Amino acid sequence: MKRRLLIIIVIIFAFNLVTPTQQQKSNNSDIQIQKAWARPAAKYANSAFYFVLENNSSRTDTLLGAETKISEEAEIHESYKKDNDRMGMRPAGKIAIKPKSKFEFKPGGFHVMLLGVEKDLHIGDKIEVVLRLKYAGKIKAQAEVRDMPMTKEMKQ
Amino acid sequence: MKLRHYLFVIILFWGCKEKLPVIEKFGETSYKLVDQNNKEEIFPDFVKDKIVIMNYIFTNCPDICPLSTNNMRLIQERLKKEKIDNVQFVSLSFDPEFDTPEVLRKFADIRNLDLSNWTFLTGDKSTTNSVIKQVGVLAVPSDSTVFKNGRKIYYYVHTDRIQLIDPEGRIRKNYKGSTINVDEIVSDIKKLQ
Ligand SMILES: [Cu+2]
Repeated sequence: MKRRLLIIIVIIFAFNLVTPTQQQKSNNSDIQIQKAWARPAAKYANSAFYFVLENNSSRTDTLLGAETKISEEAEIHESYKKDNDRMGMRPAGKIAIKPKSKFEFKPGGFHVMLLGVEKDLHIGDKIEVVLRLKYAGKIKAQAEVRDMPMTKEMKQ
Repeated sequence: MKLRHYLFVIILFWGCKEKLPVIEKFGETSYKLVDQNNKEEIFPDFVKDKIVIMNYIFTNCPDICPLSTNNMRLIQERLKKEKIDNVQFVSLSFDPEFDTPEVLRKFADIRNLDLSNWTFLTGDKSTTNSVIKQVGVLAVPSDSTVFKNGRKIYYYVHTDRIQLIDPEGRIRKNYKGSTINVDEIVSDIKKLQ
């Protein structure tokens, strides 16, 4: 009887130990995504996804791309100044994030462009985008649809 | 106070008193365009006697143009708060082949924009080209994305602009659309009233 109880207790402990480590792996605390938001877009139109990528690890990681069910394509883009008052946008390729540093995707700079959204993205909607990193692998990000970043709105 | 300090103060006052020079006037020129409801509008006749705040966009642009459009919204809200009326907002697409009235209406609707004094315009490409040429806006297709189904969209390199037009149809000031200072344009609007 006592032995059986002991076995049960051991099993429970084993589960408790296993589960958190598995979670840690999939959460990937080395890379964190913060302040994620996306622009509103009507069905078939384009949205942009913004966030802060924090690399807490001791090696450079690289953002390779993004995937989402919300749009036909997802590409890393960059807005750039052409001259004094002209602006353009171009694909940005891969982005290296140095160890112990943050990289901000923000309006007027870098964004993940969500091309051809599958449905209307209204202000307040939540969407999910998966970022692909060289070492950290795939990381899920939840973003709220807003018409401006959180920090700005909080200042108002 | 040294002489250059005096000079600095004088120049500062000069700056404050500076009136808004006329950059360009539409004069007798007008353009046949359509709004987001597919209603014909003769620009700038339909906004005559109003102060016009205008920006130039294409809806496939997900970053700079929404920034500019959102700044227009902030200006609109501010004017409402300060009870300044007789101001009309206009957004003209320089990509009319993609930006049909329906696309423009959806672009406005999804952002909950108040269209009571805001008109989105599109039309024939030759007409929108003539408008942007006259107002000094450049828009050239550059990079593109090809979708899996073959659909191709272009990204324009374009002038990032919000423009202030007086009730006589004269362009009085240019601002950078994506980074405009709301206080600045609101004080300029007051000068035109
Ligand atoms: Cu983009």
